[in-house]
Amino acid sequence: MSERIWDKYLTERDKAVFAATGFGALADWGKRPALLIIDVNYAFCDEEPKPILESIKTWRTSCGEDAWEAMPVLQKLIGVSRDKGIPVIYTTGSRRADNWDAGSWRFKAAGRPPVPVLDASARDGNDIVDAIAPGPRDIVVRKLKPSGFAGTPLQSYLQLLGCDSLIVTGTTTSGCVRATVLDAFAENFRITVVEDGCFDRTQASHAINLCDMHAKYANVRPSTEVVDYLNTLSQGMFDLPSGQGMATRIAAE
Amino acid sequence: MNADRFEDHAWADVVPEDLLRIYAPYRRDTFVGPRPALVLIDLYNVAYRGGPVQPETLLGQYPSSCGIYAHNAIEPTKQLIAASRAAGIPIFYCTSDNRPFAAPQGGGATRRKKASTAQRFADDYEIWADFAPQDGDVVIRKQRASIFQGTPLTSHLNLLGVQSLIVCGESTSGCVRASCVDGYSSGLHVSLVEECSFDRHELVHKMNLFDLHHKYADVMHVGEVIAHLDGMIENRVAAE
Repeated sequence: MSERIWDKYLTERDKAVFAATGFGALADWGKRPALLIIDVNYAFCDEEPKPILESIKTWRTSCGEDAWEAMPVLQKLIGVSRDKGIPVIYTTGSRRADNWDAGSWRFKAAGRPPVPVLDASARDGNDIVDAIAPGPRDIVVRKLKPSGFAGTPLQSYLQLLGCDSLIVTGTTTSGCVRATVLDAFAENFRITVVEDGCFDRTQASHAINLCDMHAKYANVRPSTEVVDYLNTLSQGMFDLPSGQGMATRIAAE
Repeated sequence: MNADRFEDHAWADVVPEDLLRIYAPYRRDTFVGPRPALVLIDLYNVAYRGGPVQPETLLGQYPSSCGIYAHNAIEPTKQLIAASRAAGIPIFYCTSDNRPFAAPQGGGATRRKKASTAQRFADDYEIWADFAPQDGDVVIRKQRASIFQGTPLTSHLNLLGVQSLIVCGESTSGCVRASCVDGYSSGLHVSLVEECSFDRHELVHKMNLFDLHHKYADVMHVGEVIAHLDGMIENRVAAE
């Protein structure tokens, strides 16, 4: 990979610093990964691919068409992981009806225009997009904050499963993906960020955050390489949830 | 599973029959889990001050001592540590983070009144010499009761691939209890070594062991745990 997505945003001095300091060396893959899909829900994707400036009129946090470009990548990674019995873990937001638990999200909301009326179907923006809907043996972690670890049982699930590494995908690259990657790094997990499996509202933020994570905390790799790696792993390494009774429950929701 | 064996522990003489009936749904097999680490909670000098006497007689000079109960645990704990070293499992200690500027007022492990200056010594929170940490061991400095709270312990366990804990130390009702509950809540299998855990009073020790055993941890006798650790060596030798 000579040309990286972030190269065009770097100054000449930045490039010289990276070249001289050796940040961005590749770490070894883990042996027992989980696939993590951060916040790929309707609030961040809309219900269909729409130009972002159009989409954000309905879903203020939508990433527009970039979200849908990542969707086939996510489908591929999810399919391979399920076939291998590798844990597939989703995160999405959670919020009380009265919004009290928005907490710090409100601190910077003062100058913001009022939230638009949501779509006629009154879909919950925190619902995970149907195109990559969780299966009965997958795990969904509800969270209030950017990091999938903050105030959630995620660490305990990874402990129970015996994971040593995470394959991270989803959105936004600069927000919840990065926060989750940092907390996973702090907990000594090995991390791969899937370059074409992540997206953001802001193109420059997407690129530069991938650059930052690749420099210090994670390997940022294309999904083709990640699929090749997943295919090298043994089948059935993990004691996954049985999935019993989940189909009925999913249907009821 | 033999029900009597499950309840054959320190609390047997204080727990009434009706309580055992209420707690019957907790009965299960107890064991040391896979990929264990040894966790030695607060085996620091303060707990042993004044020698092997009843803690009540030490209230004036050494109010934090566990006296006879601490000293009774010394020999079994030495054996447990030796067996853990022989088995090559990771060993974690913890002690109080009493470094200056470390915490605001009210940030202690319990609500207990602070000891007076006359009752405090510079080496209070050094690990008791019989158990001195060795190269390769990890000492966690903590401010609260649990070894997990506000410490990097889970990151160390992840790095080592630890999946289970063997816990002992003091006090059964305080830091041992808090650490066992957090360990269980973190997804780890927890075994608590009865003879190597202690408190300031037998009743408190026994009832906290009882609570932990039924809900969160497998309380095991030191002999059982050492036999398991010895078995790990035999398995390893056999594999080689």
